[in-house]
Amino acid sequence: MDGANLTRGDALRVESISKAFGGLKVFHDVNFTMPAGGLLGVIGPNGAGKTTMINIISGRLPPSSGRVMLGDTRVDSQPVYSNAGRGLVRSFQQTATFNDNSIEDNLLSAIRFSGKDRSVLERLAVLLEKFGLVENWRRDANLLPYGLQKMLGLTMALATEPRMLLLDEPAAGLEKSERGNIDDYIAFAQTEFNCGVLLVEHDMDLIKRLCPQVIVLDGGKLIAEGAPGEVLARKDVIDAYLGGSDEEDDHAQHS
Amino acid sequence: MEGFIATGLIGISLGSQYTLLALGFTLIFGILGVVNFAHGGFYVMGGYVAYYCSAVLGLPYVVALLIALAATFVLGWLFEVLILERVIDDHQATLMVTMGFYLVLATGILVIFGAESPEFSFPISGVWRVGDVYFPYANMVVLGACLAAIVFVFWLVYRTNVGRSLRAMAEDRTVASALGMPTKILFPFAFALATGLAGLTGALVTPILALAPHVGDPVLAFSFLTVILGGLGSVTGATIAAFIVGLIEAYAAVYLGGSKGALTLFVLVLVILVIRPQGLMGKEVRRA
Repeated sequence: MDGANLTRGDALRVESISKAFGGLKVFHDVNFTMPAGGLLGVIGPNGAGKTTMINIISGRLPPSSGRVMLGDTRVDSQPVYSNAGRGLVRSFQQTATFNDNSIEDNLLSAIRFSGKDRSVLERLAVLLEKFGLVENWRRDANLLPYGLQKMLGLTMALATEPRMLLLDEPAAGLEKSERGNIDDYIAFAQTEFNCGVLLVEHDMDLIKRLCPQVIVLDGGKLIAEGAPGEVLARKDVIDAYLGGSDEEDDHAQHS
Repeated sequence: MEGFIATGLIGISLGSQYTLLALGFTLIFGILGVVNFAHGGFYVMGGYVAYYCSAVLGLPYVVALLIALAATFVLGWLFEVLILERVIDDHQATLMVTMGFYLVLATGILVIFGAESPEFSFPISGVWRVGDVYFPYANMVVLGACLAAIVFVFWLVYRTNVGRSLRAMAEDRTVASALGMPTKILFPFAFALATGLAGLTGALVTPILALAPHVGDPVLAFSFLTVILGGLGSVTGATIAAFIVGLIEAYAAVYLGGSKGALTLFVLVLVILVIRPQGLMGKEVRRA
């Protein structure tokens, strides 16, 4: 696969992406770069185009113009599975597991589809233990509590040994007490797999905790980028996105 | 009593034929999310290819069967890659495209072979008789071949990595491809497997039943019925439902007579669906 030609953790460059669905423009000329092995937060109000951005980077949707580069490889408009083979792997907002399959089988599926071998499970052992997946090893995924299903889906993405993870609201739907798992997950992805992480998230506490850099999308435009402390203090960002306190927005998102 | 047993054998024989047809139909629906209106067309094509190879070219029937299987497999693969793949995410378009392809196939056969049924009979004649139970050898061979094909499909789907991948795609193809599963190879493979099964069934069954350009219509109807009864997308459900349908059809036809048989079948299926709208083995749809 072409993935072998890539060095560990290539930079991800989104270059002048525009996207329109019929007459509806979702993006205008969005540019940003994510350094190799970096961690970039993506925030913005509902409908800002955050999930569409992940769909374009992962290859699921072609952009109307512009391109996305991972290292020297163009990844937009490529089949999603080819990009996954290059190490560019996404997660989903909803749970993303195979029903009627045990945790073990779900992880083995992820390993098989990505052409890896079972030794990945040993690399993941710490995480599997921490999330409580080991103690439910043979239970079917659809019988697990929501939080566990979500962590299983995320761990499956990691089982493909990605170089760049696109996380679509990993904390959505998790209890406050479970959100620490996301911190552990991202830290593990970066240290153990040397993996870059693009984090789309509504949980501002999580963003502030983890991300050295964020970009803000609003109405299909990139309106701000920088350290979360600075960016979130900017008036245009507050007007566009927050409206009120973080907490209220968080509730609105999940109700 | 003998009549009862003989009818049961016919029912099982019918059930095994419906199973092969329904397995292909349900695989395509489960994996690609496509209702394949051209399914009956591949059955007819299998019948005509087998007829042409054995009756016109004089090849052995077994060879004709294999050629029919291969031809419908290849045509299914090409159809998926060249046409269906372009509209795969648009449900209405897939309906139109598969229905259109059925019309093209059936009309093409009509143009090439004419509207009349060709002379195509099963190479083995004779009747197996135990006591007062009669069962034609031809039906026995067809039953054996269908059962072997069913076992093969189950082995493929449940015991091989290809099958695990196919089932994962049926479960959630978005997630499967996000993890690196090559859908561009497995989609046409699944489609071709299904059309190949339909073609094989046509090649096996049409010499016993009938071969004409339009015999695909009831095949589509019965595949649909069986798959809905079994639960859309369920391989096990389709198999169970196919045998239920075959047995009901056989017994109703013998004990109730022609049109009442079909009526009984549809009423029973209706009752089952009122009680279990998702079908015997179907899952209730959950929306996120």
